[in-house]
Amino acid sequence: MRKDWQTLELCDRFFDSIEHNDYETLESCYAPEAVIWHSHDCLYQSRADNLAMLKAGMETLPKVRFKDRRIRVFEGGFVQQHTIYVTRANGFVGQMDVCFVGYVRDGMISRAYEYFDTGQIERFLG
Amino acid sequence: MDEYEIRELCEKFFDAYENRRVDLLDGIYSDDCVIWHNVFGRETTRDENLAALPDSYKGQRRRTYNDRTINTFHDGFVIQYSLDGVQHTGHRGSLWICIVATCRDGKITRIDEYMDSSKFAAWAGRTSGGAS
Repeated sequence: MRKDWQTLELCDRFFDSIEHNDYETLESCYAPEAVIWHSHDCLYQSRADNLAMLKAGMETLPKVRFKDRRIRVFEGGFVQQHTIYVTRANGFVGQMDVCFVGYVRDGMISRAYEYFDTGQIERFLG
Repeated sequence: MDEYEIRELCEKFFDAYENRRVDLLDGIYSDDCVIWHNVFGRETTRDENLAALPDSYKGQRRRTYNDRTINTFHDGFVIQYSLDGVQHTGHRGSLWICIVATCRDGKITRIDEYMDSSKFAAWAGRTSGGAS
């Protein structure tokens, strides 16, 4: 039986942990076999590489926020649409519209697909 | 709408798009349907979308919507797919796209489309790098 609230809670926990620089919680959201696909290179990134990337962001970016979160739960996962706002060291606030599709196993994200437009990368990187 | 009706509507929508059946798409969009595109950061109306389709189809010899992964939720669907195009030059290109749509009474009421515009040139065969 599907438990939508558990999936919703996982989704919130995942994105909240990035906002709060809570690496331990972030790591616990990923299943051991987790892979993350990105639309800019169409490649699957390993769990370790993705976590390293997110950890580096936690250590260097003053602030990350996921706003206008719209979450829908489906059998076996969720889709979240949001706008990510990243405050950079020089004060520039970059933004990007993102669609994140997460597939869930045993209460953890086992596979994720992230879609965004790198054609507007200057809006994000500054 | 139940899961099966939503899934069927999704397939019908993409089949109509693939077969350039603007007449069928007209009946799939609700009267108040809006389409939001991440690459433009704005919404277009159903009428604007339908009016633009004939010209947009002229750009390619063929477009197919493949690798469709569809998941449904209580009032809509999310579909991940590849848009494979054959240009008039014979160049083949692909775009990887995700759409989140809401549905009501057998029609699509909203579409949010996410794609990567940096791949457009390669898709159209205007560069040698990127998507192929």
